Amino acid sequence: MLRTILAGIKARTARLVLSSVAIALGVAFVTGTLVLGDAMSAGMREEFAKSARNVDFAVTMSGDAKGIGAEELAKIRRTPGVAGADPRGFVPVPLITSAGKAKPALAVPLGSTEKLREYDLSTGRYPASDNEVAVDVRTASTAKLTVGGPVTLLGKDEQKREFTLVGTYQQGVGEMSMSGADHLVLTPAAFQSFDPERLAYQAVGVAADGYTQQQVTDAVAKALEGTGLRVQTGEELTADTLRSISSQAAEFTAFLLAFAVIALVVAAMVIYNTFTILVAQRTRELALMRCVGASRKQVFRSVLAEAVVMGFAASVIGLFGGLGVSALLQQLIGGFVTGGASPSVQLPLTGTTVLAAFGVGVLVTVLAAVLPARRATRVPPVAALRSQPDSSEEVSRTGRLRVLLAVLLGVGGAGVIVLGLGLEEQAAMMVTGAGTMIVLAAVLVLGPLLVGPVNRALGVVPRALFGVPAKLASANAGRNPKRTAATTAALMIGVTIVAMVTVVANSAKETANAQIDERMPADYTVTSSVPSRLLPAELATQLAASPAVERVAPTAEVVGEGAYFVAVAQDSLGNLFRPKVESGSLADLKAGTIAVRSDYAKAEGLTVGSTKAVKTENGSGDLKVVAIVTGQRLGDGVVTLETAKALNPELAGYDSIMVKLKPGVADSRAAVEQVTDTSPLAVLDSAAETKEQLNKQLDQVLAFVWAMIGLAVVIALFGIANTLTLSVLERTRESALLRALGLTRGQLRLMLVVESVLMAVMGAAIGLVLGVGFGWVITTAVSTDAVAVVLTVPFGQIAAMLGAAVVAAVLAAALPARRAARTSVVAGMAEA
Amino acid sequence: MSALVSDVGTRTAVAAANLVKVYGKGDTAVRALDGVSVAFEAGKFTAIMGPSGSGKSTLMHCLAGLDNVDGGTVHIAGTEITSLGDKDLTKLRRDRIGFVFQAFNLLPTLSAEQNVLLGLELAGRKPDRAWFDTIVDVLGLRERLRHKPTELSGGQQQRVACARALVAKPDVVFADEPTGNLDSRSGAEVLDFLRMSVRKLGQTVIMVTHDPVAASYADRVVLLADGHLAGEIDNPTADSVLSALKHLGA
Repeated sequence: MLRTILAGIKARTARLVLSSVAIALGVAFVTGTLVLGDAMSAGMREEFAKSARNVDFAVTMSGDAKGIGAEELAKIRRTPGVAGADPRGFVPVPLITSAGKAKPALAVPLGSTEKLREYDLSTGRYPASDNEVAVDVRTASTAKLTVGGPVTLLGKDEQKREFTLVGTYQQGVGEMSMSGADHLVLTPAAFQSFDPERLAYQAVGVAADGYTQQQVTDAVAKALEGTGLRVQTGEELTADTLRSISSQAAEFTAFLLAFAVIALVVAAMVIYNTFTILVAQRTRELALMRCVGASRKQVFRSVLAEAVVMGFAASVIGLFGGLGVSALLQQLIGGFVTGGASPSVQLPLTGTTVLAAFGVGVLVTVLAAVLPARRATRVPPVAALRSQPDSSEEVSRTGRLRVLLAVLLGVGGAGVIVLGLGLEEQAAMMVTGAGTMIVLAAVLVLGPLLVGPVNRALGVVPRALFGVPAKLASANAGRNPKRTAATTAALMIGVTIVAMVTVVANSAKETANAQIDERMPADYTVTSSVPSRLLPAELATQLAASPAVERVAPTAEVVGEGAYFVAVAQDSLGNLFRPKVESGSLADLKAGTIAVRSDYAKAEGLTVGSTKAVKTENGSGDLKVVAIVTGQRLGDGVVTLETAKALNPELAGYDSIMVKLKPGVADSRAAVEQVTDTSPLAVLDSAAETKEQLNKQLDQVLAFVWAMIGLAVVIALFGIANTLTLSVLERTRESALLRALGLTRGQLRLMLVVESVLMAVMGAAIGLVLGVGFGWVITTAVSTDAVAVVLTVPFGQIAAMLGAAVVAAVLAAALPARRAARTSVVAGMAEA
Repeated sequence: MSALVSDVGTRTAVAAANLVKVYGKGDTAVRALDGVSVAFEAGKFTAIMGPSGSGKSTLMHCLAGLDNVDGGTVHIAGTEITSLGDKDLTKLRRDRIGFVFQAFNLLPTLSAEQNVLLGLELAGRKPDRAWFDTIVDVLGLRERLRHKPTELSGGQQQRVACARALVAKPDVVFADEPTGNLDSRSGAEVLDFLRMSVRKLGQTVIMVTHDPVAASYADRVVLLADGHLAGEIDNPTADSVLSALKHLGA
């Protein structure tokens, strides 16, 4: 039996190779994702290793404690058994670039205990005096700093402070470096001078000789009793952090695995289709095996064994391909994070990954082959004596069961969608998303019934263009609806998801753009480049004084308990700042009053006339509600700048300053920049620029998703090539007959190309219709009163997808067509 | 007698001179045709016969431009075809030759009518509707035109194939064992029709067969053995063919 199976595989190698490619691609994706997850996890561990090395005990804030101050630190250091302890904290310190603009950076104090430092010196030395600084290697290269040169940092009151760069250090691959923030080390005193009130989030220490981790931890815990600080041993800290690291890496891996699952589902469909066709074509051979005494079980096993061998071989290829995929993904993601700098690539291959690769590859192949294998057992021995049936004739009638199942799924999916539409935000998206996938399943089940009409409709164009060959192609594409449906389904899934994501992303983009238009009626908006630093108040005055400026509208933020409000100048209401008023009137918005956003009003039970108590860090007040508003950038409500000052007397400076120019200013940007250049923090945004930046980001996300799902689409195209190759083999006699009757080689090739294109366009067209529909459903689901998502159908991109499907289909047909055209007429006629 | 002495107005539809066809190379080379020269008159029904392996199918393939030759020439209605490229050969088959094969004559995706008109469509020619109707009626296919091949009996399928071969009014119809897969009654119908198309419609038919009864419908039988011409019989009967074959040692 084994010999028969192996001989069979050998004889059918060519037919199996294409389907193996499909499964190998799927496995490569899974492997690549897992390897990437491990690599990221390892990267984070490496970083963590630096922060946890040599730590014998750690003091962390918990509960009411606001952090670790000098007093607590002194207590820790005084505790017997403590050889050394250092605080861990950071202060955002804007770094002034050569262009004179500030960019956000994080400063940490140099640890007094060398063993406890979280970084390794790379060049030079650590700062020894309070006007020296060391920077992260990456910061040194991106900010173009050289050891011995000056470094300008922006102090608390916008004063520039000069430091000398004395060294660079490596902080390892990890969260800090991945966040993209620049990083620098100062002496503790210099660090303190940037923010004297800043408390450390953690303190770590080492035990003196003769003390165990537990002993010193207990001692420190006793010393800190009553402070509410938590003291753990170094080992406990390690365990805690490892947990959080693994869960972070796992989350990202799960996100990528979702794409891998799509690829595998598509690959499984290709395999299923391949085996179905192979079994149909081998009817006579299988029957002969039955005639010479093979049992049903043996026939079943022989088909499955073929699947196992194929799955195994494909998994090996996929496993190695996966390492390549992972390297590629790391380059891609690393490129995003570091902005083009080539990141280091790690390829850890764990036993789990290898097992998963083989498990998935073999399992998916075998599962996909089970149904065809069962069908093989139903071949009666007598079939060996009949002439080889044209497998296109074994088209079973699409049963009522199929329709029933499709209807059930369709109704169920629609129900879930309706349910999801009633929910909000994330939940709405998840539930409607799940509903659309059920509807997709319904369409897949209904597939064979759709092939006929869709094929007839799509066939009109090529028939008109190419005549007889196209007519024959259309007839071929429709001759076995089940096969065509299974072939196109794979592509359909990929295209549906791509189209859906594209529609949603474009809708999000359009919505965001519309929001920008709404919230930026100003020509320019000045904001701070460093999120934690406010723009100086005098900047607004200076801007207002510029001859090019018609008016300015500064805004500030008031942070209350569990809510935040936007403060604007009273005179900017209705011109540069114009929320939509639902009830009440903005004319009444003056000192001591508030306009609340409608959903916040609903949640808090506020109406026009009621009173809202607001408490900030530095003050409080009761505000009368004068209006209910909706719109963008309102926070939970709007107050005037006077009210904001009353609530928070320490409020100094603005979050943003909107600038409206006088009409006819020639070089408007230069006019505004003339003023803003004096402040290193001020960044100038025009609505157009903000849009461009936002669109770029969304496009990047979209490109990433396209790339991820692209693989599923590639697999689906292999499926088309595969089906076509098998069909060509099956129709060798038919092709020969056509050639005898006067079909030229070119026409024969054209016929197969058109058939391929028809199948691809069929899948793509249904997928596009579904994808756009699903996109509409999801945008409707996430659309709220406050943020009305505009459905945007990107016709250009959709046309591009269709075009790509056609081109890919032509490529997919290339080999089968070549093969069919090369077969001589006489040899073709002789084929059994 | 009439086959050798040209009557006034007789033309040669197909002529082969010194045809050589070799399969394989070196030691395993087989000379399927070894210098065959033969002419087929227009307006006649000729059968090519011979034992298995005699080269009769190969001869037909070469005469019809389905296969290339290793030596010699073939003329169809005055056109030398052995020097033609694939494209011209395809065009020649499409425009000037009709085919009836043993099986798999029809495309399963097309109806009987579409199958009949396929060759004309490929050539981009408009069918002669009156001629189409004549053929369809003679073959008794009127009621079956809309049926798919799978819905037709074997005999009906072969009649559709005959109709397709004749509808384009080709210079010659090649029939390769047209009755090989049929029961004797259906076979007789097809042979009757082929003979009638020669006698009444002036068609030229060349048929390869191993069945003496089928051969007896022809005006003339050409006998082939081991790639050589091995004689011919005018106005054959089943008996005369059978004895001639016996003589060849079949």
